[in-house]
Amino acid sequence: MIVHTLASIVYLAQSSPSEGFSAIAFTNQLLNGLGIVGILLLTGLGLAITFGVMRIINLAHGEFIMLGAYTTFVLQSVFKMDLLLTIPFSFLFTALIGAIVERTIIRRLYGRPLETLLATWGLSIVIQGVVKLIFTAQLKYVRAPSYIRGNWTLFQAGDQVVQISIYRLFIIFMALLLLALTGYLLYRTALGREVRAVTQNRDMAKCLGVNTNLVDMATFAYGCGLAGIAGTVISSLKSVAPPMGQDYLVDAWMTVVTGGVDKLIGVLAGAFLIGQSNAAIAYFLNDPTARVIVLAAVIVLIRYRPEGLFTIQKRS
Amino acid sequence: MNSPRIVGGISRRRFIQYGSLAIGSSIVAACSNGGTETATTSAGSAVGVSSPSGDGIKVGVLYSTTGTIAIVEKSLQDATFLAVEQINEGKGPWSGKQGINGKKIDMVVVNPDSNWDLYNQMAKRLIDEDKVSCVLGCYTSASRKSVLPVFEEKDKLLYYPVYYEGNECSSNVFYTGAAPNQQITDSIPFCAKTFGKRGFFIGSDYIYPKESNRIAKAELVKAGGEVVGDEYAALGTTEFITIINKIKQAKPNFILSNLVGDSIPAFYKQLKDSGITSKDIPIMAYPTTEEEIQAMGPEFAEGHYTSFNYFQTVDTAENKAFVEQFKAKFGPDRVTNGVMEAAYFQTFFMAQAMEKSLKEGKELTTSNLREATRGQVFKAPQGTVKIDPENYHTFLYSRIGKWKADGQAEIVFSTEAAVKPIPWSQALYKGRTCVHSTPDKRGNPIVETKKDLPVELLKI
Repeated sequence: MIVHTLASIVYLAQSSPSEGFSAIAFTNQLLNGLGIVGILLLTGLGLAITFGVMRIINLAHGEFIMLGAYTTFVLQSVFKMDLLLTIPFSFLFTALIGAIVERTIIRRLYGRPLETLLATWGLSIVIQGVVKLIFTAQLKYVRAPSYIRGNWTLFQAGDQVVQISIYRLFIIFMALLLLALTGYLLYRTALGREVRAVTQNRDMAKCLGVNTNLVDMATFAYGCGLAGIAGTVISSLKSVAPPMGQDYLVDAWMTVVTGGVDKLIGVLAGAFLIGQSNAAIAYFLNDPTARVIVLAAVIVLIRYRPEGLFTIQKRS
Repeated sequence: MNSPRIVGGISRRRFIQYGSLAIGSSIVAACSNGGTETATTSAGSAVGVSSPSGDGIKVGVLYSTTGTIAIVEKSLQDATFLAVEQINEGKGPWSGKQGINGKKIDMVVVNPDSNWDLYNQMAKRLIDEDKVSCVLGCYTSASRKSVLPVFEEKDKLLYYPVYYEGNECSSNVFYTGAAPNQQITDSIPFCAKTFGKRGFFIGSDYIYPKESNRIAKAELVKAGGEVVGDEYAALGTTEFITIINKIKQAKPNFILSNLVGDSIPAFYKQLKDSGITSKDIPIMAYPTTEEEIQAMGPEFAEGHYTSFNYFQTVDTAENKAFVEQFKAKFGPDRVTNGVMEAAYFQTFFMAQAMEKSLKEGKELTTSNLREATRGQVFKAPQGTVKIDPENYHTFLYSRIGKWKADGQAEIVFSTEAAVKPIPWSQALYKGRTCVHSTPDKRGNPIVETKKDLPVELLKI
C-alpha cells in the first residue's frame, strides 16, 4: 500500500497534462465510466445478497464469478452455445454449487463472521485449485455473440465522435435488469418477505413457521447464481483463468461497502460513485493512480461512515 | 446479529472440520501443480525426480506452478521437462546419446508460488541443501533480481530463458532470452517505416514493461518518430477502457504494447470492441506470444504484430521436430512460443557444457561449467544459436511476426543469422556493453566504448 502510494505520487509528479482538455474525449470517458459502473454493479450484486442481506463475509465470491465464466467456456466449446444462451446454465450451476457450500460450510458458521471469512477464503483456494486441476492454468477463450458488438454513435461532428460500446451497454442493461429482478424478489414476493424476516430475526421467523434452513440456502444460492451470471457476461470481454475472480473481489467489496449494505439501491449508488470517479480521475491522471485514490477515499469513507452511504437509521 | 452459541476453545468437531478443509485445500493445491506425469510439489517442498541409480547430475528447476505467474512458468517448466526427458532417454536433438556421459539429469523441482521472496529462499535451498550443480528457471525480472544475490554470493549458475530489459550482466547468469537489441532495436524502425511516426506506448505497471518502453521510446525518437502517449495499467488488470479512450484521442500510427499475462487478451478484445481494428492502429507487442493469442481468440489479434526471436511457424527442421515432440507430450492443442523455446534449448546448452566438462575429466564445479557453457553452439528450433563468450547472453535471431486468422504468425521480418547480444540499449547508453574478461573474474564487466556498436551476426 505504502509502495503504491509512493509510486502514485511519483506518477503525479511525472505526468504532464495532455494536450489540453477535450470535451469530446471527456464525454467519451464518462460514457466509458458507465461501462465500468455496469461491471461493478454486476459483480457487486451477488455480494449485496450474500453480505448485504445474509451478513456472510464471502471471500469466495470471486470464485463464483470464475465458475460462471468457466461454465460458459465449457458450454461454448462443447456444445457451441451462444453466450446469451449459457446465462441460465451458469446461473443454475453456480447456484447449485452455492447451495452445496451453504449446506456443508456456511450453515455451521452463522453468526460467526470471522470463521466464515476464514472458511470462505479456504474455499476460494480449493475452488481455484480444482478448476486449475481440471482446466490447467492456461487462459481460456470465450466468444462474444456477433450481434452485440461494435459501437453506438451518439454524436458525430467531423472526426470527433461520441460513442459507447454496445457490449458495455449490454452489461449495464443486464446489471440493471438483475437489480430490478432482485429488488422485486426481495420486496414484492412472499419469499422475499421470508428472507428479510429471517435476516432480521431468525428465531422469531422460525417460531412463525418459516423454514429458515431452506430460506438461507435459497438466498445464498441466489447470490452465488448472480455471481455466475456476472462471470458469463464478463468472460468475453476480459480474461478467463483460474485466478480471475480475485480481480473482481476487491472491487465488488468496495462497491457494496461504499453504497451501504441495507438497501439494494446502495449497490447501484456505490457502483456509480466508484466507477465514475475512477474513470474521471483516470482520464486526468492514469489508471493505477485512480485506483489508489479511489481506494483511499473508500477507506476514509468507511472510517467515518462504517455503515456506508445509504443506510436505514436503526435504534438497536 | 444472532449468535446463540458461545465461542470458546476449539471443539473437537470444529477442529476436524477446519483440519479437513485445510488438508483438502493443500491436497488440491498440490495436485493442481502436476499437469505432467512427473512428480512436482506444492509450495515450500522439493522432490527429486527420475533418479533410478541415484548418481545422476542434480539440476534445480525453479518455476512457479501456482500463483499469478503460473500460467507462463508452467509452460516453461513443461519445455524444460521435455528437454530433460530427451537428454535422459537419448531422443530428439540428443539422439544417439544416453544422458550425459551415461549419467542422468536428476531434476530437483521446486515451486516458489509466484512469490519473489520464496524464489530467493528456494534458490538458497537448492544450492545449500540439495547441492544442485546449476539452476534452470525464473521468468519475471523481479524473480531474477530476487535470486541474483544468492547465485552471486554462493557462486552458482542460473540459466535464465526470458527476453528482458537488459542493464544487467552477471557472470553467474546465462541469459538465453533476448537482450534489448535482439527485440526492440529492429522492431521500432520497422514500426516507424511501416505504420508511421506516432507511437503510443502501453505496458503493465512494473519493472520490465517500464524499462522496455523507456528503451523503445528512445529508439523511436532516434528513428525520427514521436511518442504520443505512455500509459501503464496495474499488473493483472483487465479494464482498459480509459487507456483506449486516450489512444482514440492521441490518434497514433501504432501502439507498442508491453502488457503481460491476463491483461493481454483483455486489451486486444476491448480495443476491437471499441471499434479500432488492426488496420486502423496496429499493435506491436513484445510479450504477446502464441499462447496469449490462443487465449484471446485469433480474430482479435489478426493483423497485429509481435517482435520475438522465435515463432511456432519458423521454418527449420529442428522446429518441426520440437513442435511435434512438444504436442506429443503435452497435447495436440498446446502451442509453443519463444520463451518456451529458450527454456528448451538452454537445457541443451547446459547438457552440452556438462558433457564437455565430463569428457575432459573435469568435475562439474561452477567454474568448469561456466567455462564449458560460454561459447556453446546449438541448433535450436529458431536456428543456430550461441552463447556469447564475452557477456554470457545469447546470439539470437530477431524476427517480427504478423498474426494470422489461425493464431499463428506470418514472419514478415527476420535477420539472416543470429544477432550478437548487447545487454545495454544503444539508444540510451551509447557504446556501453559488457565483457567478462576472464570467465571467473567477478569484477565490474561493463565496458564503455563511446562508439556506436555495429550489428554483428553469428558466423559459423
